[in-house]
Amino acid sequence: MFDFLKGYVSPRRLRENGVLGMNARNYGVISRFNKRSLYPLVDDKVQTKKLANSIDINTPRMIGVIEHQYEVKDLLQRVAGHSEFVIKPAHGSGGKGVLVIAHYENENFTTPSGRVLSFKEVYQHVSNILSGLYSLGGQYDVALIEELVHFSDVFKNFSYQGIPDVRLIVYKGFPALAMTRLATKESSGRANLHQGAVGVGLDIKTGKAVQAVSHNVPIEIHPDTGADLSRLQVPLWREHLLIGAQAYELTGLGYLGADIVLDRERGPMMLELNARPGLAIQIANGKGLRQVLEKIENTYPENLTPSERVDFVLNN
Amino acid sequence: MLKKILSVRGILTVLLLLSVVVASIATYYKIVYWGFSFSPQERTDVWTVDAHVSFKPTGDPIEVSLSTPRIGKEYKILSADVVAPGYEVVEDGKNHRVVMKSAARAVKQDLYYRIMIYDNKDTSGKEISDRPAQVNVRYDDEQHEEMVKAIWRLVEGREGETKAQRLISLLNEQPLAPEVDSFLPVQKSPQIMAEDIIFLLNAKGIPARIVRGVQLSEKRKATVADLMVEAYEGSKWKIYDINTGKSGLPKSFVVFQRGGNSLLDVAGGEDSKVKFSVIKSVVSSFKMAGRRAKYENSSWFDFTIYNLPSLEQNTLKWLMIFPLGILLIVLMRNVIGIQTMGTFTPMLISMSLVKTGFVPGLVCFGLIIGIGLLIRTMLTRLNLLLVPRISSVVICVILIMQMLTILGYHYNFSIASSAVFFPIIITAWIIERASITWEEEGARNAVQQIVNSLFVAIVTYGVISSEYIRHIMFAFNEWNLVILFVVMLLGTYTGYRLTELKRFAPLARGK
Repeated sequence: MFDFLKGYVSPRRLRENGVLGMNARNYGVISRFNKRSLYPLVDDKVQTKKLANSIDINTPRMIGVIEHQYEVKDLLQRVAGHSEFVIKPAHGSGGKGVLVIAHYENENFTTPSGRVLSFKEVYQHVSNILSGLYSLGGQYDVALIEELVHFSDVFKNFSYQGIPDVRLIVYKGFPALAMTRLATKESSGRANLHQGAVGVGLDIKTGKAVQAVSHNVPIEIHPDTGADLSRLQVPLWREHLLIGAQAYELTGLGYLGADIVLDRERGPMMLELNARPGLAIQIANGKGLRQVLEKIENTYPENLTPSERVDFVLNN
Repeated sequence: MLKKILSVRGILTVLLLLSVVVASIATYYKIVYWGFSFSPQERTDVWTVDAHVSFKPTGDPIEVSLSTPRIGKEYKILSADVVAPGYEVVEDGKNHRVVMKSAARAVKQDLYYRIMIYDNKDTSGKEISDRPAQVNVRYDDEQHEEMVKAIWRLVEGREGETKAQRLISLLNEQPLAPEVDSFLPVQKSPQIMAEDIIFLLNAKGIPARIVRGVQLSEKRKATVADLMVEAYEGSKWKIYDINTGKSGLPKSFVVFQRGGNSLLDVAGGEDSKVKFSVIKSVVSSFKMAGRRAKYENSSWFDFTIYNLPSLEQNTLKWLMIFPLGILLIVLMRNVIGIQTMGTFTPMLISMSLVKTGFVPGLVCFGLIIGIGLLIRTMLTRLNLLLVPRISSVVICVILIMQMLTILGYHYNFSIASSAVFFPIIITAWIIERASITWEEEGARNAVQQIVNSLFVAIVTYGVISSEYIRHIMFAFNEWNLVILFVVMLLGTYTGYRLTELKRFAPLARGK
C-alpha cells in the first residue's frame, strides 16, 4: 500500500542526522548570512578574480574579457600566443557554457575530448555567452578567457576528463564540509552530481576521502577509470582551506561555496565562489550540514583571522 | 539558528488567524444578509404577479383602491408598477394599499398593478401580535347555536396542534360528520367555507380573519384571489389552508389583503373584478445579492466587486482564482519540491487548459511544443544570437498556432483550434529552455522538466477548473487574504521538502 513511499525516509530521521534541507538553507542560512548586495561579487567571475588577486589568492590567469559582440571577431588576437585556454561566461553557474580548449593552433580549437572546433563555432559560442544564454536570469554577460589549469597528477586517475575541483562550504569563515567532484563518462566530463559525476566527501581536517557516491549510492571505485576512490587524498590541504577561509573576508558572505582547483605548478587556485552552494555535498560526505553549522555557530570562537580559523578547524 | 524565524512565524500566524476570523465573519455576513451561497448553481425564484383590475365606469369620478402585499417583511420586492394611464397613483404604504384616481371615464377600464417579488417567507405564527378585540357572534336561533356547540364537541376529540387546525380538518373530513353536514351549506365555495370557519372560531372566542392572496405557481393566469384563514391563538396570528387545515403560509403564497379591509374598492365603477396572473422566473442568487443588500441598508455593497459591470466582474472572477493557483505552486515547489520550468509557467499552462478544455489543450500543447522543438533544433544549426533566436521561436509558435487553428477548423477537428489560447511568449520560452536543457543535460532531463511542469499544471487545472471553487473564490474573495498569509507563512517553512526525503535518504542512518 505504501510502496510509493519506498526510498523515502521520515523527516525525523533526517533531522536526527542533522541534514540541512533546501528550505532551511534558503531561509535559515542564506537569507540570514548572505546580503543580497554582496551577490554580484561572486556572481561575476571577473570581479571575483580581481578581488581574489587583490589579496594574493591565486586564480587562473586572465587572458582577456570579451564584453561586446563587436569584440568577438578579435578573439583570435586575444588568444594569440596561447595554445590552451578556457572560455567561460562571467555569470555562469554549474559549469554551463564553459569551453575548454586543450590545444589551439591555426584557427583550429581542440577540446579535451579531441573534438576540433572551427573559429566559426567558437565565435558562435562566445556570442551565445554575450547574449546571456548561460547567465543567471538570461542577462547580458561577458566572456572570460583564462589560462587552462594543469591539474595535478594526484587526480590523474580519479577523473574521466574534466578538472576535479574541491568544493568547500565555508560558514562564518570556517570551512565546514568539503568534497571533490569527479567527472565520469556518463556526466560527459562535467562535474555535476545529478548528471552522473562522482562525489567524494573529504575529511575537513585531512583532505582524505571519506566516502564516494554516484547517483546517491556509495561506490568504491571510479566507474570509468577504476581508481580506488578511498585512496584519494588532496595534497596542500591547509592551503585549500585557507583560500576558503579568506573568501569570507573577501566577500562578506556568511555561507559560501568555494571551488578550488589544484594546479600542478601554481598550487591551489580559487576558481569561483558561490553564494548559494548546493546541498549535494551532504550526500557525498554522508553527513548532515546542519549539525556542522550549528556546531560552528555555537562553539567556535569569533574574530579570528583566516589563518587562525583554519588552524582551529584543523586542530579541533 | 532558528530563533529569529520563530518570531516572524509567530506574527504571521497571528495575522493568519486574524484573517481567518475576518474572512469567516465576512462570509457569514454575505450568506445571511446578501444571500450568497457556496454553490454557483443557487437560484432565486422571482415572481411576477399581475393584479388586473377591470370595471365599468358609472360616470362619476373614479377612485380605485387595491390592497397590496406587505412588502418588506414577508417578501422583498424587485419592482412595483402601476399601469393606469391618466390616473393619479398614490401608494399608501401604511395601509398597504395603492389608490388610483381619475375623472369620470366612459369605456371599460383595465388597470394593472404589477409586482416582482422574491424571498417570500412565512412570517405568520412567528410574530407576537396584540390580541384583537373580542368578536361577538350572533346566532340565527337556538338550533344554530346547538349545531355550533355540537361541532366543537366533535373538535375536542381530534388531533391537531391548534383548535383552528382541528376544526378545519373536521370540516373537510369525508364523509362529513352529520353535525357538520347540517351546518354547512350544500354549495361550498371557498368564500363560504372561509366565512363559516371564521364564524365557528369566533363562536369559540377565537379571533379569526380572512386572508386573500395569490398562490404562486408557475404560469397561473386570470385566477381570482385565493383564500386562507388566519386565527389568533397563543398570542400569534396563524394562517391555515381552508381545505386541509395545514398551518403556515405556503412557500409561495402572496397575501394581498387581510381581515375586514376589502381587496378592491372601486368608486365610480361597477362590475369590478380583480384577476391575478403569476409568472415565475429564475435568477442567479448572486445577481439578487445587490437587491438584498439594499434591504439591509448595507451601503458598502456599492464598494464591492459585485456592484461592478459584468465585464469587469468576469475579469475579476478570473483573477480571483489566481491566489489559489499560486498557493498550489508554492506548495508544489517548497513543500513537495518539484522542479518546474519557470516559477509560474505551470499555472499559465493550466489557465490555458481551462479555456481549451483538458484533453484538447494537452494534445494541442504537446503538438506545439513538439513542432516547436523540431524547429528550434533546426535553428540551432543556424547559430543565431540569443534574442533573434528566441524571437524566431516566438514567431514560429505563432505560425504553428495559426496552422493548427486553420487545419482544425477545416477538418472539423476542434482539438487543434484551441491552439490560440496558449500564451505565446511562455510557450516559446518553454521550447527554448527545453531545447537548451536537452543539449546540456540530455533528453531525459528535458523531458523530466516538461513532465514536472505539466504535472503541476494538471494539478492546478484540477483546482481552478472547478466551477465551484471559482465561484467560491469570487463570491467569498476575502479568503484570498487568508491565502496571502498562508503563502507568507510557507515562506518561513524550513522543514524538508517531500522530494528531499528521498534525495537525502542515504544520510538517514540509525533507527
